[in-house]
Amino acid sequence: MKKYFAPILLLVVLFVLTACTEGTSEQPSKSNNNDSTTDSSSNNEESKKDSIVIGFEADAGTLIANTDVNYATDAQIRNIYDPLITRDSQTGKYIPFLAESWESIDELTWRLTLKEGVKFHNGADFNAESVKFSIDYILDENNGSFYRSRWANISEVVVLSPTEVEIRTSVPFPGLIERITGDLLILEPGYVAEVGNDEAAKKPVGTGPYKFVEWSRDNYLKLEAFEEYWNGAPSIKQVEFRYIPEFSSRLSAFLSGEIDLFKNIPVDSVQSVEADANSKIEEVSSSRINYLALNTHYEGPLQDEKVRLAINYAVDVDELISAILNGHATKMTGPLSKINSNYTETTDYSYDADKAIALLKEAGYAPEDITLTLDTPNGRYPMDAQVAQAIAAQLQRIGIKVNVQVNEWGTHLEKIRNREMKDMYILGWGPAFEPDSTIFDLFTQNAPYSSFYDEAIEQEIVAATKIFDNAERKEAYNHIQHLLVDTAAWVPLWQQGDLYAVRANLKFEPRVDEEIKVFEMSWE
Amino acid sequence: MLDFVVKRSLQVIIVVFLALTAVFFLIRLSGDPTALFLPPDTSREQIEEYRELLGFNRPLYVQYGEFVGNAIQGDFGQSLRSGDSALGLVLARLPATFQLAFSALFISLLVAIPLGVLAAYKRNSIFDRIAVATTVVGQAIPSFWLGLLLIYTFAVSFSLLPSSGGGSIMHLILPSVTLATYSIARFTRFTRSTMLDVLRKDYIRTAKASGAPTGRLVLKYALKNSLIPIITLVALDLGTLLGGAVVVEMVFAWPGVGRLLLQSLLNRDFPIVLAGVFIIAFIYSIVNFIADILYAYVNPQIRVK
Repeated sequence: MKKYFAPILLLVVLFVLTACTEGTSEQPSKSNNNDSTTDSSSNNEESKKDSIVIGFEADAGTLIANTDVNYATDAQIRNIYDPLITRDSQTGKYIPFLAESWESIDELTWRLTLKEGVKFHNGADFNAESVKFSIDYILDENNGSFYRSRWANISEVVVLSPTEVEIRTSVPFPGLIERITGDLLILEPGYVAEVGNDEAAKKPVGTGPYKFVEWSRDNYLKLEAFEEYWNGAPSIKQVEFRYIPEFSSRLSAFLSGEIDLFKNIPVDSVQSVEADANSKIEEVSSSRINYLALNTHYEGPLQDEKVRLAINYAVDVDELISAILNGHATKMTGPLSKINSNYTETTDYSYDADKAIALLKEAGYAPEDITLTLDTPNGRYPMDAQVAQAIAAQLQRIGIKVNVQVNEWGTHLEKIRNREMKDMYILGWGPAFEPDSTIFDLFTQNAPYSSFYDEAIEQEIVAATKIFDNAERKEAYNHIQHLLVDTAAWVPLWQQGDLYAVRANLKFEPRVDEEIKVFEMSWE
Repeated sequence: MLDFVVKRSLQVIIVVFLALTAVFFLIRLSGDPTALFLPPDTSREQIEEYRELLGFNRPLYVQYGEFVGNAIQGDFGQSLRSGDSALGLVLARLPATFQLAFSALFISLLVAIPLGVLAAYKRNSIFDRIAVATTVVGQAIPSFWLGLLLIYTFAVSFSLLPSSGGGSIMHLILPSVTLATYSIARFTRFTRSTMLDVLRKDYIRTAKASGAPTGRLVLKYALKNSLIPIITLVALDLGTLLGGAVVVEMVFAWPGVGRLLLQSLLNRDFPIVLAGVFIIAFIYSIVNFIADILYAYVNPQIRVK
């Protein structure tokens, strides 16, 4: 008996260990079933993959819509819920979705006509009541929605008929359609009322292409195809979002075939994915822009326009893109990217060291007299800290000394919000499709994110946000873009190159709005 | 004995309380979390409104008083991000962390005790030297690097084991081996030195002289008497294993308390951080407390001190 003691103890321990794990996910299946080994056509039908595992760096905060503004939450739940209006994946243009059409009745009233015959996962009908409920949910303080501030201009939502809804605003609000597209997802009123917010946040019901199956916090979220989806049954039947916080582990999970797709692969790891026969890299120029802010609120040389211009000439954006980002970025010259609806071409301050030094002289500075601080986050945007170091080196070339300060992301954001930044900092902004959400939220006095302020420009911006006529609006914004470039409000850098590591046989087209829509994917 | 238990219990309470107080003020000094939760275009007035709603606009000592009052009743508030009970979220992750820590402990003991005993028994042999050298390396390797190396070898190159995540015994192997490495090194060295001490004792020499078989001598007498200090070290290390699993949990995407704590810290989700610190400090103190009591029970001299 004694000699069996150790093996038995071992078995008991192993049994106990497995017993106390919650939620067992099955063994990883090797998803590379495109091996050119014995692949007879008879088992092709059976072996056709119909599931996908997507690697994510963070868990969703909650699964109830219209609450958490975090990207990780939004990207996942958009597979469960539908919006009223969506975007073209490449141009960012509005596309009717659950709303068939919309019109502005007068400056304070918008009317939306809704699609008929759409069903929620629990069988309930989608109608104007669902729209009213979803907007009222955001506005109700008790729900703690972090979107509420953006919807503060809504005075009421009125149901005209099951397929018509009217949104009334307290002030002229031309940006409403952008808000609806960017924020609003449709909840099922009956379900939320019946089970309560807490339960609906754990077991969501929407009209989207995928139904909720299981959510294991910090572990995974599993969804399955909603066969009665109004837009047709999805091609991929099972979806799992798996949370792997550490990038190297995420890459390993991808290379070993445990996950099929993940976003934000650093430019220096692109090579290792491209070298793998079962993998590919997909890239799109994102609507997210990166820039170098020049702080005019801070007592220093950057309050002088000539110095700001000199910095623009001294920073060689083309060199940064080729040397640091390996070409994975699209250069910008003004405040808006080409994807933006009212983009206009502006002057390109290309690299010119002599001009930079001459401008400094005009402003009464010798470059050696200037010492600047440059703050950067680390790992928030592609190669951000490395870009900051390179900018410091470029400015050093003409004699300006730069101290680079690397911040943890939360601290970085707080320093900006509390106006504790010094001369310069690096920041990203997006998804940005409309001039309002970039220009108004960046270059007005109360908006902290560009740290540039000019009274005359502010007046023009405020006037532009109130214009309803498209042609007139475009003209106003064109003028503002030129103004911001002429006064060297910041150093525009680039649109991020969004890089995805993708299984070779997955049909997947990255979207400019960073959404990850499994409905649009399929296995080849 | 009872005096001693009461005194140590009070110490546990004080330690947990001090840990919570220190962490409360440290994370509050790291700033206000509201900015991180709101969309970037939120106006200043609206941010103020949220701060008021969440109670962050009140003086720090008032917030602290309220926090202590609620914590005594076991209420650590709600997650700022999801609105779930902070303590509930932490407790839900506890089994995974326990599982990892105990597997690591199990692996460490399984490897370290035989290794330590053999090294002591064959002192100064080539085996002993290799064992000692290995433990030095084991203690020096950063677990982050070792974890990635193991993932690369067993998951990417040979596809033998899953690279990360939780769920099955297979998922448990790599993280627990990574976590165990440091303990294996410590336990091996400790077992070896304790055994050497015991093997030098008179009664062992007497037994040896009377012709007792060597194997039996080592296992039955020497090891038995070495176990008390080893058990103490194991108890102390269990606390370290529970708290030290953060890096391993991050690398292996293991859904435990350490990872939740780190991510909540980066997200500035204060209630979860405080609830997590409370649980870890409490467990750590309790484990040490039990070890002390056991030790005092075995060794009456300690009680007198």
